[in-house]
Amino acid sequence: MTWAQVGWVIIILAAVLLVVFRFIIKDRFNHRVRKKGTAEELNHQRLRGIERGLARHVILGDRFWSRVFPGLGLHALTVLPSLVKPDDRADGGQVISGGSGALVVFAQQIVQGGYQGGFSEALTSGDNPVALPGVTPLSYLAGLLLEFNMRPLGSLALFGNYGSTAVLWTEAAHLTGAHIFAGAGSLTAQAALYLNVHDLLIGEEIFLLPGLIDSTPQNQAGLITEDFLRVSLIVFLVIAAILKMVGVL
Amino acid sequence: MKKIIPIMIGSATGLTILTGYFFQARLAPVLGLLIHWGIALVGLAGLIGIGYLVKTHLTRIMRKQKGAFYSVVVLVAFLFTVGAGLILSMENRFYRDWVLNIQIPVETSLLAILAVVLLSVSLYVIRTRGWTPMSVGFLVSALISLIFNLRYLQTQPDSIGEEALHFIQRLPLVGMRGILIGMALGGLIVGLRVLLAFDRPYGGD
Repeated sequence: MTWAQVGWVIIILAAVLLVVFRFIIKDRFNHRVRKKGTAEELNHQRLRGIERGLARHVILGDRFWSRVFPGLGLHALTVLPSLVKPDDRADGGQVISGGSGALVVFAQQIVQGGYQGGFSEALTSGDNPVALPGVTPLSYLAGLLLEFNMRPLGSLALFGNYGSTAVLWTEAAHLTGAHIFAGAGSLTAQAALYLNVHDLLIGEEIFLLPGLIDSTPQNQAGLITEDFLRVSLIVFLVIAAILKMVGVL
Repeated sequence: MKKIIPIMIGSATGLTILTGYFFQARLAPVLGLLIHWGIALVGLAGLIGIGYLVKTHLTRIMRKQKGAFYSVVVLVAFLFTVGAGLILSMENRFYRDWVLNIQIPVETSLLAILAVVLLSVSLYVIRTRGWTPMSVGFLVSALISLIFNLRYLQTQPDSIGEEALHFIQRLPLVGMRGILIGMALGGLIVGLRVLLAFDRPYGGD
């Protein structure tokens, strides 16, 4: 069996499991393998920000695509609908920013698309919540630090693809007393953010976030499929390592 | 129907590209065409994004918002760079000197700030995380990596010490691969959820 065939098996298995779990899972089912504290804290802090009239900043990363982490930009966009609800825009405190034109344009589409789902435009301040502070990682950093000064910051949520420069964003947010939540980023960003972000998701936890925020059957199906594949792969790797050690493989 | 057609086109395109990854020889022409269309679309989105950046700064200047002066600086520098690039071309020596002699020092200074901030936050990691096995393990492993990277530790060839040193030096790589495998699985599920229309971030319930 070639590695390409192994890849096929994993992809087909994941697709089949997703479809099967989607039809098995009922609306009220709740997959409680993981603690939801971090996601609950994120929601709590965002609500607190709305109540106090503070800005809620969502960062989608400083690039849309990279060869090493191809799924992170897309993941940041898939988190948006569960994170930014139509009424979040009402006070003009919701800010969504990205460091690439493509990210910002797609985010704009998502926010407007969600908005068409039955909410009066008259209730918003008319401000556009999506911002593009810069188009390279470092110009994005410079522009973002300026954005933080525009309005008192209540919460900062980091998603998508970014590097260790994220520490400067979080340090600036710490100075304002904002709550910080981080998920995703490159490996260097995960290591760097571990130093100063308490609510941090690393590794595959990042991709579980939509299921932790919003327990729809679709999200739950994704959560269970990911957990199933993860545990299967761990078991497979351990068995393969043992077989290698005893000389069978 | 208005919502279903884009979903079907999106899913079919995604599945074709996925299939093409495994049957490259057979699907190469279709794959090439789709990828070029994708690149063109992302490029166009990038251009729209730059227009968006200009519009944001113009709005900030016209409304005299906080930081409007910085927006003036950004716009002047942006317009000058774009104008000079169009007139002089990218290969022009003056243009390259102009861009690189500003960009490199500015970026280097930002990276210098990053180094200082990383050092300071690493000193406060226990305050952020407390005395947990993870935080202590993180600090100890960072310290060991720093010591090993100095390359002062030398061992005899083919000795147990050399084996032990190699084992410790391989640990970060093993951890990194573990995290990457997890992220790859997560990325796969995200992609499949969008392809199978379980997630529709582009709109529609």
